[in-house]
Amino acid sequence: MNLPMILFVLLALLIIFLLAWVTRPPRLHSVTPDNIFGLLSQPRHCARLHFILQALRPEDTEFLAQMGNAALMRGIRVRRRQIALAYLDCLEEEFETLLEISRAIAIMAPEVIAMEEMSRWKLSLLFSVKCALLRGRLRLGLRPLSGFVALSTLATGMVRHLEAATSSIAEHTALGGGLPGLELSGPDAE
Amino acid sequence: MLIALLQRRTFRSYPWFTAYILSALLQSAGMFLLYRTSGLKARMVWNIAWGAQAVITGMRSLAVVEVIRTVFSHYDGIWSFTRRVLLWVGLGVLVYTLAFSHGSSQWIILNFIRGLELAMAAVVVTMLLFARYYLLPLAPVPRTLAVGLCLYSGFYVINYSVLERSLQQYAAFWNFLGMVTYVASLLVWLHGLSRYSVEELPLQPAKISPEAYGKLSSELNLRLYLLNRQLTLLLHPGERRP
Repeated sequence: MNLPMILFVLLALLIIFLLAWVTRPPRLHSVTPDNIFGLLSQPRHCARLHFILQALRPEDTEFLAQMGNAALMRGIRVRRRQIALAYLDCLEEEFETLLEISRAIAIMAPEVIAMEEMSRWKLSLLFSVKCALLRGRLRLGLRPLSGFVALSTLATGMVRHLEAATSSIAEHTALGGGLPGLELSGPDAE
Repeated sequence: MLIALLQRRTFRSYPWFTAYILSALLQSAGMFLLYRTSGLKARMVWNIAWGAQAVITGMRSLAVVEVIRTVFSHYDGIWSFTRRVLLWVGLGVLVYTLAFSHGSSQWIILNFIRGLELAMAAVVVTMLLFARYYLLPLAPVPRTLAVGLCLYSGFYVINYSVLERSLQQYAAFWNFLGMVTYVASLLVWLHGLSRYSVEELPLQPAKISPEAYGKLSSELNLRLYLLNRQLTLLLHPGERRP
């Protein structure tokens, strides 16, 4: 069998494997048209980025070693890494929720903007890769930080940006008593 | 299978799928008669048989389109987007298969059929991936029809590609595998049709104006981007961008 034939068989096997994967029972999801705004206005974890970055700074715990408490320093660093991992889980969860909201909105839209959908796919892939990388580095005890230049300012800037985005959405909600242009046409309408 | 389709009046919702089953049945009967009774030359019978197979594969492609339309047609926005993606996936796989298929002119139809089968399997699986990604409620009947169509096409490509080189030597075994695959797909379809009602219509989605979608979509993308940016900051904190 030559190479193209092997590739055909591999492609067909990949398709059958994907078919088995995709027909698993879907997991329950929490996003419905009714609770989109509730989910959007939930507190965000990014506000805590400053503290997490601060906690991961080696200088923050170095004084313990200088005072002869190296074991304590190590213990604290391990604990802080665990907290950073938990923070990472929260970020991932928040990202997933936003993705679910975007899908719910795409279903309701008369026509989706292909570029925005594609950019979400790309972003979601990038995010997963970065999450896995960061999680690996934290678990291995590697330092995720190396520079730490004015990060708190950046983090605050991001929080402000998010606040602005959410208030813009909330403004629409408040003005229209719901999503502008939203009309339920299915059985949910009642 | 045909009786089940007629009895449960599924043919009204899936006319192309019903036509495909009917044509497959007619093809089998026709081939039986052709091989047993006609005095045509072997080469001529070969051409007729594979020509008929090409028609059946074409009918199956239409059945695939019908199933996809049933799943997505309620969702105007993603339907137009999905349609374009699925078209590109199908054409891409078909072109790839034809470009890398070798053999003499007598294999052209077979290679084309294999290309079409692989394209169908890829399109169906992409459609199911889309449905899962967008959390669409997939009714059991189109779901089982899609699974059966994809399974058959996938295994057809494997059978054909593996046994292509030694087709003549293992013709009986190849036919047997083809039959097993087809019967397995029929069982999947029969299970779906006998267990679930085709009348189960999916919930109509709520509607949203294009302006509202545009605004929400870009703002959600912005928030996703910012979350992603946070992760970058955690990974490379020295980096600073405007």
